[in-house]
Amino acid sequence: MIKLYRSLVALFVVAATALPAYAANYTLWVNGRTGGGQIGNYNSFTYWGPATTAAGVNKKAVNWDGRSNISSQNYLIRDALDCFCTGTNWCYIAAHSAGDLMMGYTLANYGGSTRYKKNASPNAAGQCGNSDGSTQVGWNIKWVNVASGAGGGSELSDVGSWTTSEPLVKDLKTTTARALYNHNSTRNVWFYMFAGASGTLYSGILPGQDDEAVAYHSTGGVSGSGGQGLCNPSDWFCNDLNMGTAANEGGSTKWSYHSVKFRDNNESYNHYANGNWGGIISVVRADTVTNAQ
Amino acid sequence: MLAGLAWWLDGDGPTAVQAATAKAGAATVAPTPTGWPALGQTQSPAMSPEERATQLAVWTERLERAKHTLASYREGTRYPFESRPISEHADQTYPNRPVAEDSALRTEDGQTDPTINLKTAQSRVFMAAGESVVFTIAASDRSGQPVAFTVTQARALGMPSPGRGGQLPQQAVVFGDTGTQGDARAGDGVQSALLAPAQGPFAQYDGAIRVEVKLKLAGREGLHGFDVYYSPEQPAVWAGPVREVVERGSLYLYMPVQVGTPGRYLVSGRLDDASGKPLALLSFNDVLPAGLQQIKLTVFGKLLRDLKPSFPLTLRDVDGYLLKENTHPDRALLPRLMGTVHVSKTYSLNGFSADEWTSEERDRYLAEYGRDVDLAQGQVDQLTRP
Repeated sequence: MIKLYRSLVALFVVAATALPAYAANYTLWVNGRTGGGQIGNYNSFTYWGPATTAAGVNKKAVNWDGRSNISSQNYLIRDALDCFCTGTNWCYIAAHSAGDLMMGYTLANYGGSTRYKKNASPNAAGQCGNSDGSTQVGWNIKWVNVASGAGGGSELSDVGSWTTSEPLVKDLKTTTARALYNHNSTRNVWFYMFAGASGTLYSGILPGQDDEAVAYHSTGGVSGSGGQGLCNPSDWFCNDLNMGTAANEGGSTKWSYHSVKFRDNNESYNHYANGNWGGIISVVRADTVTNAQ
Repeated sequence: MLAGLAWWLDGDGPTAVQAATAKAGAATVAPTPTGWPALGQTQSPAMSPEERATQLAVWTERLERAKHTLASYREGTRYPFESRPISEHADQTYPNRPVAEDSALRTEDGQTDPTINLKTAQSRVFMAAGESVVFTIAASDRSGQPVAFTVTQARALGMPSPGRGGQLPQQAVVFGDTGTQGDARAGDGVQSALLAPAQGPFAQYDGAIRVEVKLKLAGREGLHGFDVYYSPEQPAVWAGPVREVVERGSLYLYMPVQVGTPGRYLVSGRLDDASGKPLALLSFNDVLPAGLQQIKLTVFGKLLRDLKPSFPLTLRDVDGYLLKENTHPDRALLPRLMGTVHVSKTYSLNGFSADEWTSEERDRYLAEYGRDVDLAQGQVDQLTRP
């Protein structure tokens, strides 16, 4: 009887080791300017708020320093995508502010590159080992939720409101951010734009509605080489930022695969996490919790 | 596996079972697997009507997003990523038009004067070796009437960047409205300046150049900054005429290039039909070794069959760069090819394939997005079952 028991258990162990690893979905959170989370530590959510807060399935913090040039920190995002978004694993992405610029740069430049499939077990530097030595084209990304994205830059960078000794500030100048890469080349992955409008401090500098750091032309994914003033329907004498992929009032259009999912009609949400997943990030977090499973 | 068999043979009991099982599963921390409904998603007979309604709303939203994602991906990947209708890349259609901005007058203390509007433009942001750039400024009041202004100071400054030591280059920049030095028309109220980095202190400079302009107008003082990125490096040069080939149902335009610096090259070209109507954005993104190589621009067969252009087709405005990974500046541009680069032969559309693009990547995405739809639909069906 004991021998039969051992036989069954041994058979189970043999079968278990022969099965492929579980496929898993991950939710990657890509920070913006100022950074703050520990680089390489995917459990460090300092930039966002308490790590215990629900924020999508198997959430991971993709931390970069938030002050260096996009190009010089981009390898950290590629490492994370390699770790969690290859092989049988898939990713939902949530990005904030300059994280939008970072993700757009990544997909436009590397979205079709050859990637090794990784084992989703990162080392201290945030890099994972190869799973089976095989490769794939690009990553496995379901969609990108963007909280007040700065893919189109910010006029606060243009006027020197942020220090020019910070390399990222030069990348965020509106003409530079828009020329940095082809914003339409997302590998056909949707960028859902969540645009905040609770900004008054810099309303003279940021055109149209803004969340105190970035204006609607950027947070709404509006294409073109420069910024422009876009507002809520309740704002007279200013063209509306329209929902979804529709052209805006006045005729301006959005980059391909960019869709306005949330427009802050009540001017309730500003740019800042406030250490607790706050501001416009709270809206993205709620949507991500619902949809990133 | 061998541990399990060894245990069975030597009969050590439960301790060995635990060891064998632990070894089998030790490689990964177990994340929440896909396909397992999260807690609360499995409907129990005890679910209240309110709970059911809440769950139904959640799964309905997920289903809508999943359906949209699947349908749009399938539609969008009928053509390969390197051969796209220009309508998807509208802001890439005319890459050599000035980069224009409209803003309220800004002052040196970072404030703005909304009564004065500045229209500024620069002919490019990223510059290839040897290229020059033109900057223009015009001022108007709220009613759109031109406001006369004076440029009191303009200078080009090399910008600090990590790892860059020593003195940074700078030079004076001259703005004028004389119809020369980059100015389109004399006396039209638009002041222009030409900067040619290769001809001055920026000749060997690689990085960001800021042109700071101080203005005086209507009793106020204002400030504007233009940023450009220059590199004297020429990573590759064009090495001959375009060769066009119809093969495997598509039209390919091969552009020979002599690569000096190996690496990842991104190249884009615009395609117009015989009437000059923009049709497609063609792109190349791949790693090239040193030596004579080919930039392959694809005009996908189905794209031609769907767009039904009049031939011949014109390839124009080709630009590209070597992407320098993990550093800044992050690129060195190829020589820019402005205007017509190649005119194709005339073809019958029947000579091109009407088949959709196929690839492992597309299949992988369609399968996964399809699974998402099936999962969400199944949940919705269960929740709406009487």
